[in-house]
Amino acid sequence: MDIAYFPGCSLHAMAHEYDRSARLVCERLGINLVEVEDWNCCGATAGHSLDHELALGLSARNLSIVNRMDRGEVTTPCPGCFSRLKTAVHALVNSESMTRRMEKRLDATLSRLPGVTHLLQLLMEARGLRGLAQPVVKPLTGLRLAVYYGCLLTRPHRIVQFDDPEQPSSMDGLLQALGAETVKWSHKTECCGGSFAASEPGIVIDLGGQVLEAACRAGAEAVVVACPMCQVNLDSRQDEIKKERGRVHNLPVLYFTQLMGLAYGYSPRELGLRRLLVSPISLLEEKGFF
Amino acid sequence: MDTEIFTPLRLDEIDSALQLELKEKLDIDIEACLECGKCSGGCSNGHIFDYTPRKIVQLVKIGDEETLAGMDALWICLSCQLCLDRCPSGIDIPRILDYLREKAVTQGVRASRPDVHLFMELMLEEVRDKGRVSEVPLMIRFKKKTGQYLKDAGLGFRMFLKGKLGFIPSRMQKPEDLKTILSERKSENKG
Repeated sequence: MDIAYFPGCSLHAMAHEYDRSARLVCERLGINLVEVEDWNCCGATAGHSLDHELALGLSARNLSIVNRMDRGEVTTPCPGCFSRLKTAVHALVNSESMTRRMEKRLDATLSRLPGVTHLLQLLMEARGLRGLAQPVVKPLTGLRLAVYYGCLLTRPHRIVQFDDPEQPSSMDGLLQALGAETVKWSHKTECCGGSFAASEPGIVIDLGGQVLEAACRAGAEAVVVACPMCQVNLDSRQDEIKKERGRVHNLPVLYFTQLMGLAYGYSPRELGLRRLLVSPISLLEEKGFF
Repeated sequence: MDTEIFTPLRLDEIDSALQLELKEKLDIDIEACLECGKCSGGCSNGHIFDYTPRKIVQLVKIGDEETLAGMDALWICLSCQLCLDRCPSGIDIPRILDYLREKAVTQGVRASRPDVHLFMELMLEEVRDKGRVSEVPLMIRFKKKTGQYLKDAGLGFRMFLKGKLGFIPSRMQKPEDLKTILSERKSENKG
């Protein structure tokens, strides 16, 4: 099965391990990710915050390339990109004048638009829980995880149309199918501090701190994410949270694809587990994974 | 600011100019607001907003553009979409905030959080130059402009040790392909 793949900027930089683990598990599942040719930034944050048409134009160009590649569907591991691409599809479908304007600017036709999925959604829909559990060689038995969805994977529901925006369960189901235990907790879809990591880190320390605290209170040993921004916000500020709030969490924050890869038998090196700031290695050793 | 406006409004208190503007340009109907406050109850940053989402909707109703253009909430909204999802009338408040922010910047209103605005402008510069955004060059641009070289230096070093920062920045083969999209940027305000 071939599918157009939109990695997005983060996966070509800090979240390299997300890209790598995503490609590995897809390969194992017989899903061939074909990268969108010369893709550009999706228009997240700065784009839509300052210039609506520019953000729309950036996503429209990516969609037009998927069309040109003759792919009916594009998948992305980043909820930020997912949200922008879905929003653009929605805006174009609902406005003929906007579609004409973008077609003129891009010199492309946008009358037909590709379907957009988040990678988690693609895996669930293409293989189902049974299919996703089938390659498991090392079940994640004994791992107690807080599965964190963040904002844009399920919101706004009328645009993204994936899972339940208040009580999502798809990723919990996946991790359970891989053998892990997932905790019931309060902050599944609360915000991690989003794009303020550099410009207003206090917001990330505040909101990310709440998420980590809730995960700890629920008895989780690690947090699972499907978003490069959530990962970096929750992973990188635990020292400051300790300093400012006096709470020690020391919770590893892993991508769901890394845990799938682990269950499928890939090594920590292949999955980039050592690239995470709060190391998951001792926890995984303690549980007997290697 | 008269706090009375944050109680349910009477029709004769409403100046609908901005409300009509949002209806025409964004197809968002503020009239549909039930004044229930679910948007503010869910707001991720509501505890530090000067005006919570419900108050922002009230300010739109009375047409207080000056307060809206200068409010802090404009620059610390996380775009988390919670208010929109919880609104029984589906009012797209994040889109309203994007619209008001864009308008404020175009009119040259100074951001209450200059660093947030600056960071966004620099991110767009990255897009203009490379077609993509890489964290390291973006951070270097940001630190040069703000002079905050030591802020987060320790975190940067830890990331470097983990191999998180060592990549050659990803770029498009032909960033000039974006010219037709980027050329019409209305404001070049640099915070």
